[in-house]
Amino acid sequence: MKAITANRLIDGDVVFWKSGQWVERFGDAQLFDENEASDVEAAVATGKGQPTVVVDVYPIDLIESEGRWAPVSYRERIRALGPTNELTHGKQAEGGDVVEALRHASGAARSTGRVDLIRRK
Amino acid sequence: MYQYDIIDKEFLVDRSNEFRGQVARRLAGEITEDQFKPLRLMNGLYLQLHAYMLRIAVPYGSLNPTQVRRLAEIARDYDKGYGHFTTRQNIQFNWIKLKDAPDILDKLAEVDLHAIQTSGNCIRNTTSDPYAGATAEEIDDPRVWSEVIRQWSTLHPEFSFLPRKFKIAITASAKDRTAAKVHDIGLLLRQGRDGSHGFEVIVGGGQGRTPYVGPTIKQFLPTDRLLSYLEAVLRVYNRHGRRDNIYKARIKILVAALGAEEFARQVEEEWSKIDAARADLPAAELARIRASFAKTPFETLPARSEAFELAKANDSAFARFVRNNVRAHKQPGYAIVEISLKAQEQTPGDATAEQLEVAADLAERFGFNDLRVTHAQNLVLPHVKLDDLPTVFAALQAAGLATPNIDLISDIIACPGLDYCALANARAIPIAQDIARQFADLDRAENVGELKIKISGCINACGHHHVAHIGVLGVDKKGEEFYQLSLGGSGAEDASIGKILGPALPADKVATAVDQLVGAYLSVRTDGERFLDTYRRVGLEPFKEAVYAQAD
Repeated sequence: MKAITANRLIDGDVVFWKSGQWVERFGDAQLFDENEASDVEAAVATGKGQPTVVVDVYPIDLIESEGRWAPVSYRERIRALGPTNELTHGKQAEGGDVVEALRHASGAARSTGRVDLIRRK
Repeated sequence: MYQYDIIDKEFLVDRSNEFRGQVARRLAGEITEDQFKPLRLMNGLYLQLHAYMLRIAVPYGSLNPTQVRRLAEIARDYDKGYGHFTTRQNIQFNWIKLKDAPDILDKLAEVDLHAIQTSGNCIRNTTSDPYAGATAEEIDDPRVWSEVIRQWSTLHPEFSFLPRKFKIAITASAKDRTAAKVHDIGLLLRQGRDGSHGFEVIVGGGQGRTPYVGPTIKQFLPTDRLLSYLEAVLRVYNRHGRRDNIYKARIKILVAALGAEEFARQVEEEWSKIDAARADLPAAELARIRASFAKTPFETLPARSEAFELAKANDSAFARFVRNNVRAHKQPGYAIVEISLKAQEQTPGDATAEQLEVAADLAERFGFNDLRVTHAQNLVLPHVKLDDLPTVFAALQAAGLATPNIDLISDIIACPGLDYCALANARAIPIAQDIARQFADLDRAENVGELKIKISGCINACGHHHVAHIGVLGVDKKGEEFYQLSLGGSGAEDASIGKILGPALPADKVATAVDQLVGAYLSVRTDGERFLDTYRRVGLEPFKEAVYAQAD
């Protein structure tokens, strides 16, 4: 499973792709399964074509956690939640099942979870 | 403190307006992110994991109460109520919105603060001694020379696009509180046999992925030739620094590749071509700058304060604070007071808006309007009367700012790490909190004595782990956070780079490992030996044994 993330230009907030929109909660993100690779590509391309809305658009890998989907990598989970030293800061402040699932997620993560990390020159 | 004149003030207003225009053009799509990024970085604005981060320069770590209150206001109005002091004496805000950044720069400019050259491949803020003007150890006030360099290097046309960032540190005391030997240039002010002053010039120190203690390339540079010599060093670097490879672009790589002697020779050659009359600071201008650091109007007081002695005898908490956080002042009847930003469960270097306001009030009421930032992420009230110390202590205590742990094991340097930083591989803050918790017992911490733990969340080493007595480096092993320990580093006058202890440990084993290292130290230390001294005497093996033999 994959989702697509970015930072919003105007305030830097972490956002996720949902059917042509950018939403703030990971729980609202559109999830793409393995046979939707071309949809992921198309959505990333659309996002990259919105330079006044978002910056640094990329897909992330997900794993299952407590029956929900969570980013594979620790880095992406921190982006989706907020800093672990201030539990009332960032998106985690509002709590709920999705936040709990993200907090408990663990697993064999790639170093950053970014699918397109290696840039070949 | 140096007072901005009308030119400085107009310059900051212009600069802020320019950035407002750049932000507007970016938001309107008139410039691309690739075009905008270097512009925002030149104004200290980074994009981190959760938001933009604004790094504000605190020239040589010196702030007045008006500035500190303005920082508190920004923390409250534009951040989440706190700021983070860095290992280069600056302050960062972690939750900044791009659309607010121009307003924030305006508000900073009103109190003579800015974020210029806190990022980018230019000469960054000069680090200096937080005890400047207060310690009897110094032979001159290093702030004077820091200010000279600040004015010279700000928007220097030749040195605004260096191969890589460039950091200078200056100390005028034998005891180095600036980590001068691991800066691109370290300037150690010395007194010559004839009483004249000169700098020992160290070039090519640094941390990051290739750490070096810098070699001395000039033993005694007469102070009046400082700027022309710096120009020669920068020019050689600008010409030959490795622009082709970001990992080899710092001056330390060039100095190591050429050898210190050859580098020094090239600098001398370049220096001989420079017209001193053009490049060096005129005596009148030096005098003008020096005048703004005029002597603090201390009162003539007895060296002994009865109120202070009485409080020390009656209040063991105060006595402990004095033992650990109060240092000797050059003026009888005064003291230097360190304010620890390393309370239990606190994020190292963080201060809330309320704490900043308390510090500003204390500086105003009891400290000649002077507050300093240390590279160890603490604050300093450099001039407090011994008579006032009990009152100051009570106020600090009420604000959660009286943790008596300066230079002790819980006074840990930590970078923001993966909790905030886009470059980090692992978290640093929770590791610092784990270790501090392990040594929460202050009697035990005092018994262990001076022990500097420094934690970085990646190899860039913002947390100075290479020069820690016990260094902790976060690494990423297949997506899990692991931590590599190193021993025997020092960023002080006895500078050295730490040696890796052994295989990296998982996060939940780090505090235990530190405990084991301390146990090994306590079992073999001799009288008066610090952890670092014991390590240097006995070597790595007993410590390796303590951590890895038990880990099996």
